[in-house]
Amino acid sequence: MTLLEAPVNTPLRIKDLLGGEGVRRRLLPLGFHRDDLIRVDSRALFRGPVLVWNLTSCTKVALGRGVAQKIIVETNHGEP
Amino acid sequence: MESRKVPVVVFIGQPNSGKSTLFNSLAGPKAETSNFPGTSIKHTHSRVKIGGRLLDVVDLPGTYSLCPSDPAERVALTHLFSERPDLVINVVDASVLGRSLELSLELIELAYPLVIALNMVDVAERKGIQVNPASLGEALGVPVVPTIARHGRGVKELLDEAFAVLDRGQKLRPPLWAGDVEDKISEMEGTLGADFPAVSNRRFTAVKLIETGGMGCGEFLGEINPALKEALLRIRKELEDRRNIPAYEVIAAERHHLAMKLSEESSRVLHGKQTTWDIKVDAVMMHPVAGYLIMALVFIAFFLIIFKVGGPLESLLLGPFLRFKTVLAARLGNGLLFYLAEGLLQGIGGGVAIVLPYFVPLLFLMSALEDLGYLARAGFLLDTFLHRIGLHGKSISPFILGFGCNVPAVMATRILESERDRILTSLLIPFIPCSARTTIILALVAAYLGPFWALGFYGVNILLVAFLGWVISLFLKEPSPGLILEIPSLKWPSLRNVLQKTWIQLFAFVKFAWPLLIAGSIILSLLSYFGANRVINDILAPLVVNGLGLPRALGVTLIFGFLRKELSLIMMLQALGVDYRNLLSVVTREQIVVFTVFVSFFIPCLSTFAILWKEIGRKWALVSAGLSVTVAVVLSWLVRLVL
Repeated sequence: MTLLEAPVNTPLRIKDLLGGEGVRRRLLPLGFHRDDLIRVDSRALFRGPVLVWNLTSCTKVALGRGVAQKIIVETNHGEP
Repeated sequence: MESRKVPVVVFIGQPNSGKSTLFNSLAGPKAETSNFPGTSIKHTHSRVKIGGRLLDVVDLPGTYSLCPSDPAERVALTHLFSERPDLVINVVDASVLGRSLELSLELIELAYPLVIALNMVDVAERKGIQVNPASLGEALGVPVVPTIARHGRGVKELLDEAFAVLDRGQKLRPPLWAGDVEDKISEMEGTLGADFPAVSNRRFTAVKLIETGGMGCGEFLGEINPALKEALLRIRKELEDRRNIPAYEVIAAERHHLAMKLSEESSRVLHGKQTTWDIKVDAVMMHPVAGYLIMALVFIAFFLIIFKVGGPLESLLLGPFLRFKTVLAARLGNGLLFYLAEGLLQGIGGGVAIVLPYFVPLLFLMSALEDLGYLARAGFLLDTFLHRIGLHGKSISPFILGFGCNVPAVMATRILESERDRILTSLLIPFIPCSARTTIILALVAAYLGPFWALGFYGVNILLVAFLGWVISLFLKEPSPGLILEIPSLKWPSLRNVLQKTWIQLFAFVKFAWPLLIAGSIILSLLSYFGANRVINDILAPLVVNGLGLPRALGVTLIFGFLRKELSLIMMLQALGVDYRNLLSVVTREQIVVFTVFVSFFIPCLSTFAILWKEIGRKWALVSAGLSVTVAVVLSWLVRLVL
């Protein structure tokens, strides 16, 4: 599923980063690598951006919906 | 090291690492700092004497990596590669150590002499992480000094270490990656001819070529050396086939894993997950419903405080100037000398008593909000609305800066990745009421019609920005690349930092604006002495009198509005020949609103126009001016009809 469809407050593992090189190049240094653990903290109202907490690098990043759609995740049960 | 020249020391760090704050406590208040990613877009170059030694210190804009993705980062890198500094001070945010070390690893690959300032160790400890600087330093082969820049802690130790490295030099060994990647790097290194213009060293150049491939630094390669280009493509292909991901991701992943490993090995977890004050506050601030209510309250409080502080301060300061003017009139009579003195006094009085009372609190509160980290949060909350006008949340930083002054706001659009977003944001910024216009709004609308009229004015103003954004984005079809914005941890603003920043901005404003204010005021006095303002007023009369229904005498003040907006206010009093308190004896409340609307929008001030020209080009600067004139005429005519 994409990050946009992912449940809130659940640990997620990044499976893949879609989209062009430009978006991926911006996401990588912010700590979005394959296999990193992330969590959706909240979603803004009115189809707003999602607030993502990266459990691996301990950073909080706001991602627009277009960008969030390019991040493929799976739920990671059993891990903190 | 070399005694014949002044050593160049470059500060580099990821956005929000506290780099500019550290730079300030070392080099004095030269660089503006803030808690919004990428706000120090203009790099500061200053020669300072620190610890008895002369240094050329450069504060580079924050950058996440040595592969730029926006123009602000490009500034950082071009400078770093071209300057060949004698020392690099890498400011690292200890609270996000793993991620921050990725840049440090790249800097070690670059192999310029390096010292790491492990900053915000207090924030890290609050998060439950204690980093051991000694073991980190040993693992990296670089001196690591713990600092808390906001409180000036560790600064002296950092300097000692910096001088030691400058004096004895430094040999850095790049960290080694997985065998298969290293093989390819060596192969690439071997392919570079002896005369290849390597940046710093051959390994770094080889890595960057593999990383960037056809992009950026690699673009020119095919033309100057086709054989090398071919080898590069082959090596990248082999690496990609082996790892099944793009070549740049292979390198990024290597750095990422190494950085995570180093970060784990050199830190100790103090306590499990704890809910600290900032997490609780943040949860409320970013709440999908409460967040917006808080934001509305924050901005209402923001403007009410400015008004409550500015109003009394203004009347307090204005009194002495008015009394002095009466004394002057009695002494000097009605000759040229009086006109000169009156112009001078109006200019100084306007600057001190009308502009400063509102401007200083605005700067102070802006700095506090930035330092707290609220602007990035407002960006998140407002992203969805900015999407409606074809932008995204990252534009909020330039917009809010625009409430202070449009000039740095236009410069701040460099943090936006796409040119389309930069143009659209830059075209909208001149419609944001900057502090000069806020002064006019407060001094005229709020003072004569009440604070809620002023808030209403602001509301309509923001709707206007939204409407214009929507209209302009219909013409700029290319889609926006979307929001990727780091939300920094909340920090209690340090009074010293906020005062320092207020002072830097105030000083820049006074230096730039006061000579203009005073000169403008004297010129207007002289024009009225020689009767020339009547000619200007006659020329502008069709617009001013027939179009806007304002007194003919106000025509000349519009000319000055182009120099600086608040000049129009001061000149208005001058031109009408009344003092501020008796304004209503010559104009009506409705005329005050029409005048404020027209002056606010009719043209970007001279300095904004100049910066637009510089940043987005002549064509768009002229579009902006045309747009402003049209909007001002239409809007003030509408206001006249409605009121």
